[in-house]
Amino acid sequence: MKDMKEKLMNLDQLSRRQFAAGTAKAALGVSILPIAGASQKVLAAGGGKAEHCIFFYMGGGMTHMDTFDPKPGTETGGQTKGISTGVAGIELAEFMPNLAKGFKDIAVVRSMTQKTGDHRGGSYWMHTSYQPRATIVHPTMGPWAQTMLGKKHETLPDSVVIGGGGNHPGAGFFGPALAPIPIGDPEKGIQNSRPWKGVDEKTFDKRMELMSTFDEGFQKKFKTDEVSAYTQFYDETMKLMSSDDLDAFVLSNEEGYQEKVQKYGNTRVGKGAMLAKRLVKNGIRFIEVNSGGWDMHNNLWGGAIQQRAGELDNALSALIEDLKAEGLFEKTLICLGTEFGRTPKINANGGRDHHPRVFSTMFAGGGVQGGQVYGKSDKLGMAVEEDPVDPRDFNATIAYALGIDLNKVVYAPSGRPFLVAGHKRDAETNEIVTEGKPIMPFFS
Amino acid sequence: MKYMKTLKILACVMGAFAIAGTSALAEMRTWTAADGRTLEAEFLGVTGAGPNTNIKLRTAAGQEYQFPLSKLSKEDQLWAKAHLPKDPHALAAEIDKLVLDKMKEAYYGLREEYQGLAANTDLTAAEKKKRAEELAREMEMCAPNDAASDEQFMRRVYLDIAGRIPTFKEADAFLNNRSKTRRADLINELLDSDAFAMRMYNWYSDLLRIREGVFMMGNGDIKADPYIEWIKQSVKEDKKYDEMVAEMLAATGKIWDNPATGYILSDSGMRLCNLSNTFTIFMGTEITCAQCHDHPFEEVYQMDFYKMAAFMGETETRARGRGNMMMMMEGGGGGVTREELARMNKLLLDAGKLRENDTTDRQLNRMVGTHSINVNDTGRNVVKLPHDYKYDDGDPSQSVDPGTYFGDIMDLEKYETPRQAFADWVTSENNPRFTVNVVNRLWKMAFGLAQIEPVYNIPGHLDGQAQNPKLLAFLEEMMKDLDYSVRDFMRVVYNTNAYQREAEHLSPTLTQIDKGTFHFPGPVLRRMSAEQMWDSFVTLTTEDPDAMVRRGWEEYKEIMHFDTTQLKTADQVWEYRNRIREVGRLVDVNGDASGRDVGKVGRVQMVRASEMRQPQAPGHFLRMFGQSDKQLIENQFTSGSSPQVMNLLNGQITNEVLTSPEAYLVKEIMHGEKGSKGDKIDKIFLSVLGRYPTSEEKSKASAGMSKKVDRDAPQKDKDAAEAAGIGNLIWALVNTREFMFIQ
Repeated sequence: MKDMKEKLMNLDQLSRRQFAAGTAKAALGVSILPIAGASQKVLAAGGGKAEHCIFFYMGGGMTHMDTFDPKPGTETGGQTKGISTGVAGIELAEFMPNLAKGFKDIAVVRSMTQKTGDHRGGSYWMHTSYQPRATIVHPTMGPWAQTMLGKKHETLPDSVVIGGGGNHPGAGFFGPALAPIPIGDPEKGIQNSRPWKGVDEKTFDKRMELMSTFDEGFQKKFKTDEVSAYTQFYDETMKLMSSDDLDAFVLSNEEGYQEKVQKYGNTRVGKGAMLAKRLVKNGIRFIEVNSGGWDMHNNLWGGAIQQRAGELDNALSALIEDLKAEGLFEKTLICLGTEFGRTPKINANGGRDHHPRVFSTMFAGGGVQGGQVYGKSDKLGMAVEEDPVDPRDFNATIAYALGIDLNKVVYAPSGRPFLVAGHKRDAETNEIVTEGKPIMPFFS
Repeated sequence: MKYMKTLKILACVMGAFAIAGTSALAEMRTWTAADGRTLEAEFLGVTGAGPNTNIKLRTAAGQEYQFPLSKLSKEDQLWAKAHLPKDPHALAAEIDKLVLDKMKEAYYGLREEYQGLAANTDLTAAEKKKRAEELAREMEMCAPNDAASDEQFMRRVYLDIAGRIPTFKEADAFLNNRSKTRRADLINELLDSDAFAMRMYNWYSDLLRIREGVFMMGNGDIKADPYIEWIKQSVKEDKKYDEMVAEMLAATGKIWDNPATGYILSDSGMRLCNLSNTFTIFMGTEITCAQCHDHPFEEVYQMDFYKMAAFMGETETRARGRGNMMMMMEGGGGGVTREELARMNKLLLDAGKLRENDTTDRQLNRMVGTHSINVNDTGRNVVKLPHDYKYDDGDPSQSVDPGTYFGDIMDLEKYETPRQAFADWVTSENNPRFTVNVVNRLWKMAFGLAQIEPVYNIPGHLDGQAQNPKLLAFLEEMMKDLDYSVRDFMRVVYNTNAYQREAEHLSPTLTQIDKGTFHFPGPVLRRMSAEQMWDSFVTLTTEDPDAMVRRGWEEYKEIMHFDTTQLKTADQVWEYRNRIREVGRLVDVNGDASGRDVGKVGRVQMVRASEMRQPQAPGHFLRMFGQSDKQLIENQFTSGSSPQVMNLLNGQITNEVLTSPEAYLVKEIMHGEKGSKGDKIDKIFLSVLGRYPTSEEKSKASAGMSKKVDRDAPQKDKDAAEAAGIGNLIWALVNTREFMFIQ
């Protein structure tokens, strides 16, 4: 008992110390743990090929019935027709012709299942592998990867969230230093990274000079860690502002920008995907691209599904092609998730409602074997028929592709243990083990 | 508890009578010691203060005695307490003594080790050297810092009490005040100001996680406004802290009738989380782990957790079941019956006012949903052990009865609901965690570091864990003696010399924090909180920074109470449903920067953080600098990041708002009282940093402000050039560490 208590105190102290050290060293979301690298065990088993991950999150609850798991000709199929993928017996919805054509590159999960039908709760589960609680916020996959694998780039952040909303759990209990950098509009890049308009270089320098004069006395007197941390932030930010690194966030500097916009689509998800690729190329590990508008309660076929699915189809297929052209496809995992699917039964308003019992997700690249479907929903798309996959398994698959040891226990500052893909206590050994299991057929 | 309070009040009255004439003090009275011995003597007065009081007595024979207060019987203690100096200065002096004693004691201990280091054979030369350095550093930190200058004191006390820097006028007035009591007077003035309520609200809202938006539950539309304003009002009237907490824990009804229900509503549907949160917030105790298993390091069993949870086991936040319409009505606060709703919907339908294919109206339905959100106790305890309960003191899924595992044992018979018993138990003077939790947190508010860290998880055995156990015990007793007046408590703390010293120049090490060996040679140097920074910017840009407040929520209450049966025609119903929508929106955008045009400086709404949306949207300045997202208890942060620095260097606030010709300070400098350039620079320094510039700073500033403009240039260009120069100076000053940190 006493040993355990000491252990906890040490951990607590360690995490606090790391936190303080992190503040001092940090620029733009930072490393606080020693670089660990991919787990040897995972590497040996065929995972860990992905050095980067682009996570597409379809906010609102993407209909499985009209994207990756169409049921044409059944009473629940609605107006959606199927389109051949070239693999016998597998069709995608007609709104995704490009993905159907490039089906050999993607792997679809048709047996996702989830416990909750509310947007917030469902999104939280998908992002963190944990149920929302009022006593803790669990981290999302980008900060998990940074914690487990170390920081990937010296100055650039490890994770970025493009177009995320206010409820993104971010770094959770890992603390603000690891929080993903938010990008609202992919066209605008990082906020405030250039001098305010009208402030020319001369004025900026003059101001900086004044600032150093005024601050001299204070900085000489107070030598606390917090003060030096801020001074370091100023130095590093100045360095970053004048470095080429920030160019990674300037989408319009992408080579062949105009042409690429045509391919990816002049849409938020298209430009998000394009920026994600650019960030991957510049060494950023984890990029989440958010795309909303999937909460199709009304008039699903009145243009909504055509538009959303079409934009997604363009963005994903262009991204795959672009990554391949740059030689990045094999080391970049693409995954696509959502909080739940939509009811097979079409409602009175010609739409579909929330349906967590079964839905679809998708993986590609990063060592995932394309051209396959894992799991199965029943004939009408109501429930899982084979091989259920829950959000923990979904995240376990991402973690596995990145080479993260699923059984490594991390303690929150409060001393509670957590694992990257959820945890349970093994009945026999009483050890804390992972609850999520990766979809292994994807890695053979 | 109630009996004790009555006695206290009686004692107060007697005390007042006794003090009325000094001769009354000479009255002989029989004193009883704790061990039962008695003494006939007159009361001469006291030395020390608070729980460290000694009382002086004189017998008829002229013999004088001095007793520690604690040696007297309970009743005599109460009598004496009524005669204790409640004078904050006497109490502050007592705190100062305890702080200095501890520092001295620690210093001698360190010095002894330092002197013995050479002879220590357990350490290598290198280890000795390292240890010697550590000891030297710690010894240095065992000497009290110099007294803070008036400038330092002023800026700190404004930020700590009013939550913002002083305006130029306030700074000028204080620094030119030569009264001997100017510091105490300023403390009193600020504690009585509305700004104090704003500042305390920020503290409470971080602790209690007060947020708008989540209150939109299911089909209902609950507004946080009543709860938000209730907190501020409670601070303004200095509601006793124990009563305030008890009100929150026991509140029933609808939020517009009983705003304190906001606390229970925050964790709606999460009964067990709510219990954990209550322990953390009000008792500095982390018991979340006992929800799933016995606490690994402390004497908290899983059964304890469920027994405590069972106190809240009858509490629901929604009117449920088939009779829910009736319950909605019975709960008070207005409401409509199912028939009434149907009648109104039918009127609208028949009049063709509904949307195509709709048979009911969304606004009306939502209003009914809002009425169903109602904190109530059902009389049926639903707390059960988990289905996988594995200890032998209970069976899986077994019902659990309420029971406490420390503090008072509660007799449920005496209470209407178990929750009321729980509220009494939490806030009882006999709860060993309740008072210590709040004084520990309040100490942290003033000094930047608590007596026991972390504040959310005070270890089970208090002895020796605090920086200064005697001081902590003193503070605890003092809070009880001050009858849980947070304002009076803070008055004492801010009047201590310990608080009024220069901030510590070195950071306390983690070892010092963990082992409790930092002894407060001065307050810890802190970065301003996000709210303090923001509110300071509001101070620089508006003439009266505390003037703009939230709209209030009377309309909301009124519409929820409205008797709909008087609406006879479809048009009347339609008008009513539009009002619901309007009021909903009004309160929706209340304090939302995008929704109101008031309080704008340039394009940005510069209104104090407590009056804006709670919390702000993630991209807002406040969130970037660490405003809590209010998802978790104490989730604010003051650590830095590059996005923050980029914001200060290149963002809208520092480049457009603070430097705008519309901004108060810029306007004042340009068009206010005439003065030399030097005076203007003084004014800017005083406004931003709360001090005058050094001569070197002044000459640099002067050069930095000049911009060449043709003598014959139009006035407009001259003004623009002057504004730009002022802007440069303000920009440079708010980008200093000196601005960001509280000395």
